Amino acid sequence: MTQMYHNLPVNAYTSQDWFDREQRLIFSRTWRYAGLVEDIPEPGHYVSVQAGLNNIFIVMGRDFRLRAFHNICRHRGTQLIRALGKTQKALTCPYHDWTYDLEGNLISVPDEAKEYPKGIDKSCLGLKPAAVDVWRGMMFVHPDPDSPSLVEFLAGVDPHLGPHKPEELVEYEEARQTYEIKANWKIVVENYIDVYHLSHLHANTLHMYDHAKAEFGWKGPHYHFWEPPSEAYAKDLETNLPTPRVIPEPHKGAWVPMLFPGLGLGASEDSWNLFVITPLAPDLTRIENRTKLANVSSWEYNKQSWSSAGFWKNFGGPKYSGDDVASEDDPMASGDFTAEDIYACEQQQKSLASPYLEIGPASVGESPITNHQNAILDFMAQQEKRMT
Amino acid sequence: MDAQFYPLTVSAVDPIISGRATSVTFAVPAPLQDWFRWQAGQHLTLRLTVNGTEHRRCYTISNPPAGDLRITVKRVQGGVVSNHIADRLEVGAQIEVMPPFGSFVLRPNDTARRTHYFYGAGSGITPLYAMICDVLTKEPHSVAHLLLGNASKKEIIFHEELKILQQTYSERLSVRHVVSSQSFWSGFSPWRRGRVDAEVIQAAMAETPPIAQDVHYWICGPGDMNSNVASALGNLDVPQARIHMESFGSQTQAERTITGIAATAQVTLNGVITDVPVGADQTILEAMLAAGLSPAFSCQSGVCGACKATLRSGDVHMRAHMALEAKDVEAGEILTCQSLANSKRLSVRFVA
Repeated sequence: MTQMYHNLPVNAYTSQDWFDREQRLIFSRTWRYAGLVEDIPEPGHYVSVQAGLNNIFIVMGRDFRLRAFHNICRHRGTQLIRALGKTQKALTCPYHDWTYDLEGNLISVPDEAKEYPKGIDKSCLGLKPAAVDVWRGMMFVHPDPDSPSLVEFLAGVDPHLGPHKPEELVEYEEARQTYEIKANWKIVVENYIDVYHLSHLHANTLHMYDHAKAEFGWKGPHYHFWEPPSEAYAKDLETNLPTPRVIPEPHKGAWVPMLFPGLGLGASEDSWNLFVITPLAPDLTRIENRTKLANVSSWEYNKQSWSSAGFWKNFGGPKYSGDDVASEDDPMASGDFTAEDIYACEQQQKSLASPYLEIGPASVGESPITNHQNAILDFMAQQEKRMT
Repeated sequence: MDAQFYPLTVSAVDPIISGRATSVTFAVPAPLQDWFRWQAGQHLTLRLTVNGTEHRRCYTISNPPAGDLRITVKRVQGGVVSNHIADRLEVGAQIEVMPPFGSFVLRPNDTARRTHYFYGAGSGITPLYAMICDVLTKEPHSVAHLLLGNASKKEIIFHEELKILQQTYSERLSVRHVVSSQSFWSGFSPWRRGRVDAEVIQAAMAETPPIAQDVHYWICGPGDMNSNVASALGNLDVPQARIHMESFGSQTQAERTITGIAATAQVTLNGVITDVPVGADQTILEAMLAAGLSPAFSCQSGVCGACKATLRSGDVHMRAHMALEAKDVEAGEILTCQSLANSKRLSVRFVA
């Protein structure tokens, strides 16, 4: 009998076959986060992003409009451009120097007369377009240029995401990091949206928010979550915020949605954070974190840091201490909630290989997990139907 | 398409910009309301008799479809109709009006998220104003940026209205005035002095680059402004298909010197086929009228598109074809009021 993990078979988390199906049916057929708008600061700059099976690049024209194309030379399929950079007015493939303009038109074929004595119709050999749009300061691409619009995709969940305007904030470069978790991407998503674990795994690291009062739900495949500050934190909230506010008073709390597929946001009174989940293998997932903070003077930051020092001095602590600590770098003794999450995900993934694995019943606080599994099944079924 | 004229009663006549332009509002009686629905950017053709002579003029509707049926007419020096409207037209007067028409239209879409750039000058604001109002009220996820040229502050049509829109929709509308006069005494400081040229267009775009990436460019100005703006946009890599335009005022006169050749046109109109002789200096429309046929037509300057037909065989030279997009021309559409014969035999078909 198939081993089940709530609504999905366990091998959905371990097999190459499931991984490939998800790449094909989910990540290749939906809007994919592609960076912050400031990653393409001016005309000629470009970035590339992997959207499932598709490598797509975005370039800004001199009209400041973004264009997205599949990063495939129409000649022999070579990837045209590298991860990011700047061009003047044209994109040249390194292999045979075929050159395209920023509209994707093939404008030059070297030695054209000699190599193609019968002629070559350049007008049929333009780059394949993809869709690109911007929402809340983030760029998104869709491999299909005629896909339903980004606003349609996100309209339902948008009102539940807090009053943040990321495009008006500045990036805190020190917080930018990329790391890998040795677990399936869905394990990482489920950990992100598991409300039950907040008071337990993170008992000593996230208790400035009141998990018991969390409000959460679904809009289509997207999950939304909000919780208010804890009583202790809220008592002197304006004093206790570690950095200056990014949303106007009286808004408060933490908005921590998970946009499908695998784009986590974490937005609070004083920061806006990105948690981009990219599946690399059935048991390997890449996380990219970026943080944006208030666009105010360092004086304002100093002031806020001094005023909140009292609250944070005695805040938090490790999950394990004393004899429970395994080693010096035990994540359970780190007092860092990210280290705690990574540990939990990787430990869970290890057990998925065991024939003795038998998943217990899902709690109320774990209902987002079973909902996410359903969202995956629904999305794949929909796409499969569309393909036939 | 309905080419008929209907008598409409003038319900308001409002002089604006110190009488240099006039807004005329029409009352549309209930039975005609279906005929007189419009899209932002469309125009009306008026038929008036001034001093015993019949005149036809096209004027853009200067209100969005949710507003009153209103045109705004700028005085043209020596212009028979514009001065008649400004000086003699009164509330209660009846004017023969053809139903709204034109393909320079912005159709708002409440789920679309687009960036609209508007470039206008002088009375070219009239369709753009209707479009901007429509975007702001009916396309809630979209933004509009207007770059508007005028000779001086006192020439700016809808100056106050635009200011109010800007205050109401401060996050979704930007308005930039470009004024060519050098007077510094008005207390009004435009965004720029000069003209709506390539440099100004680029500077405006750099200040408010598109956020929503489905971008459209709408141009309406006099003379060669449209082609100048379009080529400035082209130099910035804007694809032709995203540029929409309509020209106001006189066409280039140089085009008039070209003549065609004497020909016979086989015309299919309302299912009836007629052979029409076309003179070398006659447009197909002129030849048809001379032959006693009565096709639909309106502006006779290539702007409105009322006289559109399909060229099934033969070759014509079109003096102007503002009303047609490049893809229409490719598909064989012609404006008969602008078409001179370029081959001895033609076959032209009007779509009923």
